[in-house]
Amino acid sequence: MEIKHSLNGEATHRILKRPRVTPRFLSESEIREEFSHHQSGVARINNGSYGSCPGSVLADQRRWQLRFLQQPDDFCFNTLRKGILASRTLIKDLINADHVDEVSLVDNATTAAAIVLQQIGRGFAEGKFQKDDTVLMLHCAFQAVKQSIQAYVTRAGGSAVEVRLPFPVKSEEEIIMEFRKAIEKVKSDGRRIRLAIIDHITSMPSVVIPVRKLVGICREEGVEQVFVDAAHAIGSVKVDVKEIGADFYVSNLHKWFFCPPSVAFLYCKNTNSSSDLHHPVVTHEYGNGLPIESSWIGTRDYSSQLVVPSVLEFVNRFEGGMEGIMKSNHEEVVKMGKMLAEAWGTNLGSPPEMCAGMIMVGLPSRLCITSEEDTVRLRSHLRDCYGVEVPIYYQGVKDGEMGVRDKNGLITGYARISHQVYNKLEDYEKFRDAINQLVEDGKVCKMLLTQ
Amino acid sequence: MASTATINGTTTAADPISRIPKKSKLPSTPHQFITLAEIVSEFSHHHPSVARINNGSFGSCPASVLAAQKEIQLQWLSQPDDFYFNHLQTGFLRSRTIVKQLINADHVDEVSIVDNATTAAAIVLQQVAWGFAEGRFQKGDAAVMLHYAYGAVKKSMQAYVTRAGGHVIEVPLPFPVTCVDEIVQEFRRALQRGKMGGRRVRFAVIDHVTSMPSVVIPVKELVKICREEGVDQVFVDAAHGIGCVDVDVKEIGADFYTSNLHKWFFCPSSVAFLYCKRSMESCDLHHPVVSHAYGNGLALESAWIGTRDYSAQLVVPKALEFVNRFQDGIEGIKKRNHQAVVEMGEMLAMAWGTHLGCPPEMCCSMIMVGLPACLGISNNEDTLKLRTHLRDKFGVEVPIYYREPKNGEVGPVTGYARICYQVYNKPQDYYKFRDVINELVREGFTCESLPN
Repeated sequence: MEIKHSLNGEATHRILKRPRVTPRFLSESEIREEFSHHQSGVARINNGSYGSCPGSVLADQRRWQLRFLQQPDDFCFNTLRKGILASRTLIKDLINADHVDEVSLVDNATTAAAIVLQQIGRGFAEGKFQKDDTVLMLHCAFQAVKQSIQAYVTRAGGSAVEVRLPFPVKSEEEIIMEFRKAIEKVKSDGRRIRLAIIDHITSMPSVVIPVRKLVGICREEGVEQVFVDAAHAIGSVKVDVKEIGADFYVSNLHKWFFCPPSVAFLYCKNTNSSSDLHHPVVTHEYGNGLPIESSWIGTRDYSSQLVVPSVLEFVNRFEGGMEGIMKSNHEEVVKMGKMLAEAWGTNLGSPPEMCAGMIMVGLPSRLCITSEEDTVRLRSHLRDCYGVEVPIYYQGVKDGEMGVRDKNGLITGYARISHQVYNKLEDYEKFRDAINQLVEDGKVCKMLLTQ
Repeated sequence: MASTATINGTTTAADPISRIPKKSKLPSTPHQFITLAEIVSEFSHHHPSVARINNGSFGSCPASVLAAQKEIQLQWLSQPDDFYFNHLQTGFLRSRTIVKQLINADHVDEVSIVDNATTAAAIVLQQVAWGFAEGRFQKGDAAVMLHYAYGAVKKSMQAYVTRAGGHVIEVPLPFPVTCVDEIVQEFRRALQRGKMGGRRVRFAVIDHVTSMPSVVIPVKELVKICREEGVDQVFVDAAHGIGCVDVDVKEIGADFYTSNLHKWFFCPSSVAFLYCKRSMESCDLHHPVVSHAYGNGLALESAWIGTRDYSAQLVVPKALEFVNRFQDGIEGIKKRNHQAVVEMGEMLAMAWGTHLGCPPEMCCSMIMVGLPACLGISNNEDTLKLRTHLRDKFGVEVPIYYREPKNGEVGPVTGYARICYQVYNKPQDYYKFRDVINELVREGFTCESLPN
């Protein structure tokens, strides 16, 4: 599908024409071809960590990169801004934002967290907030977000409170209850909650959180601002930012939305304080609003932010478009999760309705997963010796808790399996068999060798 | 050919950490250095009909380095988890080690890789802001920058220093400039202003090579003055440093030093290094994008700022290989670029009856050339309009600078073109520019006639 460029013609200066896409759905072999750059022989059941990008979108990205290389000045003056605005406009429509001014493109959710938390940090430094005013987050918030809170909030005198959610989880109500309790505790300590950070889909362990309800509770309880960290959301679950009602909402586009690494959108509801959001890398655009500031943070490769139109072309070659892909991924991952749990005699970490394109599957207790270190060991072993790529989560059982058991003992480890359009049944069968082999051989984590 | 590191023409011994091999004997084949035809091929992706005399803005990258970058990108796409766990950090260490040797830093811990000098500035200025916020610096303490500091750095000073309570002072510099002493005197005066009323000067940011107008600043001397005057921290913004001027961070003596590698060191967009002298450990630099690596030192923090394409930062070894295909490596390239840009600058100034913006010894591979006064460049908008006109109508890419005339000047030169010379340039690029301007003068063209 790639076009060869003739550098001697003026064609290079015009918008490069792409071949007309035939209006039929992608076949199995075409999908395979789109992801043929994935390493063969690897059961790649971890789309959630780093995402994936089809060949046709990569080709589009290369076209943009080539235009920059050919004449960078012309590109930066005449092409770049328009391309970013086009991407932002498509995103705005996808997420049901009111205005394109509310949509900024940044590198990733980690960057978005820094932007939001820097604003909170300034609140403390400049006396707007009092010492011990609080930022609330989930206990399983992404590690980068927790560190960002330390770097910008705790350092500036603020206090951070974690909400511990149950896992395995049986229903949304369990989450809502814990969340309410946590807020009430902070308020009863006489502290103000300046910001609540809520994951739309937690990373490890992965569960879909009822964000709309939790945002509602935040509003009821007088939480000043709400930031939804939806790193995994777009392309995974429906995203309607007005319905969810948060002040800030970020999602990566390279995880489940087929963009190349890396690009994310940060939605900021138009409010009084949204004008004091700044990109930490300051350029001549400082003060022109976050979307404009983010569209120029010095010389760099912006091509991953420019391919959103070609991603939409790609997803529309699937039956049902993005909705169809999400539905199919969800159904498949639940099916695969149940298959594995049954094969191993274990459990799922959440009911099917609380997962999207990822699900947590209990690992046999006989593997003796007793620490984070064990999960790293197991993961490396699976990669190096079985060609299976899957992240593992350690769930210790606290005193007084029953825990979940299989026929041999406590289940303390869960695999987070993902399903994306390139996955096939064999990937999960390979994983099933690898674990069965390890159990059969009497292997426990501590004795696993890695290359 | 083995990868080597050369500093000022001499080679360095292998660094045991990186196992970069010692320089091996050059093969005595007839084509041991890159040929002209090979250079043309390496830059064949440049638009063929554009006189690209603006390497300074966005730099350039040869095809062989781009190919190496693509390989890295494919490696990531093929199996990202494996790349992340097993290859990313060693790749970063390799790049940092090469930079450490190139710039004569003491220890690889002092070298972090970031996106660009703009990011480096944000990192350094953020910790200055913390200094004010946490009471190490008093509100009203001064921070000094050059009047010709890069626009992004000026805004960064506003965002981080002014906002946190610092008092920012600009050092006015003459332009055109006739000698180094003019700059030194202005700088001294600015520091005195900074110390007025018993204030401390906490921070100074000094360009190694200013952007617009472009002049090489005597950084070593200015850093020395800073030390004499008790300035707490000195940051040299050398966006145009490596591959353009001599970079020896120990000799220059600043606390922080940054340079882009995609401008003059043939790396793809974008990659820069930030050097932080070890004795400044206590000043607590952090990358503003915080990840799980927070607290492990800036170098490690910068090596993981979330999922993204780090390939431009991992091809530094390939850029060094490219550079060493030229006679005398980067030293040879710098010297020849400098000679060529001075020659071309003098040719243009003579053809137009104007002058250069600085003496040859105060420029590197960029030089400011006065444009004929009759073109009527009367403000900043005119420079943008003229630049666009040159690009769209004539296929010449060159940035223009507006110099406000002083009272009493007769028929002043108010516009200067910043021409650059890099290995892919040829005299025809500058003849084209010369002829275009001469044609515009003949036609009686003025900037006034250009649409807004």
